[in-house]
Amino acid sequence: MISKSIARHCLTAVALLLALGAPRTALAEDVTINVWSHEADEDAKVAFRERAVKNLEAAHPGVHVKITWYEKNPLLAALKTALPAGQGPDVLYVEPDWTEYVEAGYLAPLDDLVNWNNIEPWARAVWVHNGKTYGIPQEAYTNELYYNKDLLKKLGVELPANAQFTQTQFLDLVKKAKAAGITPIAQGVGDRPFPGAYIVGEALLRKLGKEDYKKLWTGGLSWEEPRVIAVLKWTKELVDAGAYPKNFMTLKLGESHYYFYSNPGALMLPMGSWYTGRAFVPVDKGGQPADFPLGIMQFPAVDGGACNQCKTSAIGASFAINAASKHKDIAAEFLNAMSTPEMGKMWIETVYLQTGIKADVKSFSGPHAAYFTELMERQKGEDYFIGGPRDLVQGTCKDSFAQVLNSAFPGGLLTVEQTAKMMNDGCYKG
Amino acid sequence: MTGVVPRARPWGRGEAGAEVSARRASLATLFIFLAPALLLYAAFTVYPVLRTFWNSIHTIGPHNVQELVGAANFTQLLTSDRVFWKAVGNTAIFTIIATIADVLGGLLLALCLFSGAPLAKLLRVVWFTPVLMSYVVVGIIWVWIYDYDWGLANFILRSVGLGALEQSWLGDPRTALWSVMATHVWKWLGFNMIVFLAALYALPEEVLGAAELDNCGWIAKLVYVIIPMLRPTIVNLLVLSFVGKMMIFDLVWIMTGGGPLWSTETVSTYVYKRAFDWNTFDLGYPSAIAVLWFIIILVFVFAMTQLLRQRDRLEF
Repeated sequence: MISKSIARHCLTAVALLLALGAPRTALAEDVTINVWSHEADEDAKVAFRERAVKNLEAAHPGVHVKITWYEKNPLLAALKTALPAGQGPDVLYVEPDWTEYVEAGYLAPLDDLVNWNNIEPWARAVWVHNGKTYGIPQEAYTNELYYNKDLLKKLGVELPANAQFTQTQFLDLVKKAKAAGITPIAQGVGDRPFPGAYIVGEALLRKLGKEDYKKLWTGGLSWEEPRVIAVLKWTKELVDAGAYPKNFMTLKLGESHYYFYSNPGALMLPMGSWYTGRAFVPVDKGGQPADFPLGIMQFPAVDGGACNQCKTSAIGASFAINAASKHKDIAAEFLNAMSTPEMGKMWIETVYLQTGIKADVKSFSGPHAAYFTELMERQKGEDYFIGGPRDLVQGTCKDSFAQVLNSAFPGGLLTVEQTAKMMNDGCYKG
Repeated sequence: MTGVVPRARPWGRGEAGAEVSARRASLATLFIFLAPALLLYAAFTVYPVLRTFWNSIHTIGPHNVQELVGAANFTQLLTSDRVFWKAVGNTAIFTIIATIADVLGGLLLALCLFSGAPLAKLLRVVWFTPVLMSYVVVGIIWVWIYDYDWGLANFILRSVGLGALEQSWLGDPRTALWSVMATHVWKWLGFNMIVFLAALYALPEEVLGAAELDNCGWIAKLVYVIIPMLRPTIVNLLVLSFVGKMMIFDLVWIMTGGGPLWSTETVSTYVYKRAFDWNTFDLGYPSAIAVLWFIIILVFVFAMTQLLRQRDRLEF
């Protein structure tokens, strides 16, 4: 009797262990990775990331990826409260100027987690801090000067063979357009702290060369230096000639695109090459008309420029892994799934934008193939400065950049001397 | 069956027959009923306030590492932060002018309706509607109204031959703050109007009737009868309006983000920028701004209440 009882208890115990063991195994396989991403309003990027999710889930049964889509400011606010509390997603959208996350130790080093063979070394370098890599670069872009080919022809102006006007020619072009009742440059700073500085920023890069340009943003070069003043004076001439729309101060980024290609129309639009994200969507969603004569010219060469072939290239959308994530390996698999050569090809062919992912794309197809071919043409012979001003400035300087160089100076509210002084107050450490 | 229905024992009647009022329930009972509200209040009001005070004397590093800095944040704020002082100036102008405009405007609209203006019912709805709209909607609408090229404001000016006065209303430091202020007043006039209207209808008719019998004119009746009797309402609206405007954030953030050239920067927008837009996790400095501003608001509210209450006592 006793032995039967013991046997029965043993069987029960084994059954219980099996019963407990089974779900434990299932739980180990059933992992959900949480991703917080920006850019919900860009269909091509949403489709790209959703494809990576599907690829990962197909390759790893039991792994699930949940993407929560944010606008940028709410994402920043959520991250700034979640990460210090040890919470937050496994994978997060980041941009290179969000350096505080790296400095605070909230991002996991990715050097040994991610397959770096699929990432361009120059793009990876943007995310290297103190010898460790913290982000996987997805979106790359260059600052470009878009223009309306028909309007340029209407003004009787021909683009030089190298697609680059001199600073005098450019000023004349602005005056000519203004005289013809055409807004020369569609630009607005109503909802962004950077677009107003495209023209002056690129001119400063060309004038100073890469090294001094970096010094200027990091406090090592005075804004009252003669070369800087020369660029500011030229920019002021453009402003006084009416280069920007009257509603420059309140025109929002998306509205400036529409202003350029639809209503009322403008000759030029300086913008990151991520312009396509909003422009290459159906017209009823605010995109540019299918037959819009879009062209790309180089930013003007400046007199006595140290590097007139220089151009800003930067990394935009990137992804990182939360240092507090319990599933770093699987999170890294998701980053890898977004960074295969096939995905890189998909990015170029659907987002129409450069990428930090190595992609073997020799010829372009699709409705915007001509655009991408021209974009690649404009990259030939260029010497890239990696990173925009906002990647380099912090604190007071960042605020001065947004208020002065991005807004008040191109908005015609400040003289050259006032601008130089205010930028020095905010940025110069000398 | 006697047909007598036993009377329910009155609430709180003790065995010995001693009457215990519901207002004198035991502490345990009171605590049980108050606990949920107190817990919520402690979690979402008391703790954040105390935490902000604590943060203000610390530098908060990554992973919540705190370094005691004493009054250093306050010293920096008061001695070397020119944007803070610009924000203080803007907030002060905004608060004083908009509070007066809000209360005075609301009173005028209420008097207009009270005096039986034509289409009073329609006007009441029209004037109150902006109160029901969110700041986001109001902000977006008014950014369009103020737009230089296609905005209604400049369109009207051009239409009536005043094209020379057209402006980039939100893009010029001379007009930006006033433009945001006008929008804010537009949004809140209706609220003050409704409160005043309710107060006006609650005035004792015999007093107003007596004033009319004494051949008291409309202006005299307003100045010597109506406004004194409305004084408690005016005081309440002034304090409410004042506090609300000292903390103005949403509308400014949506319409100008504090620009151009900090001309619409308010203390609240500056706190937000320092907390979330400066590439730092340090909440110490922004907390110091918040604490200082909290104290200033508290002092002003106390002073206003005392001042106006004193006058109340003199009147009655």
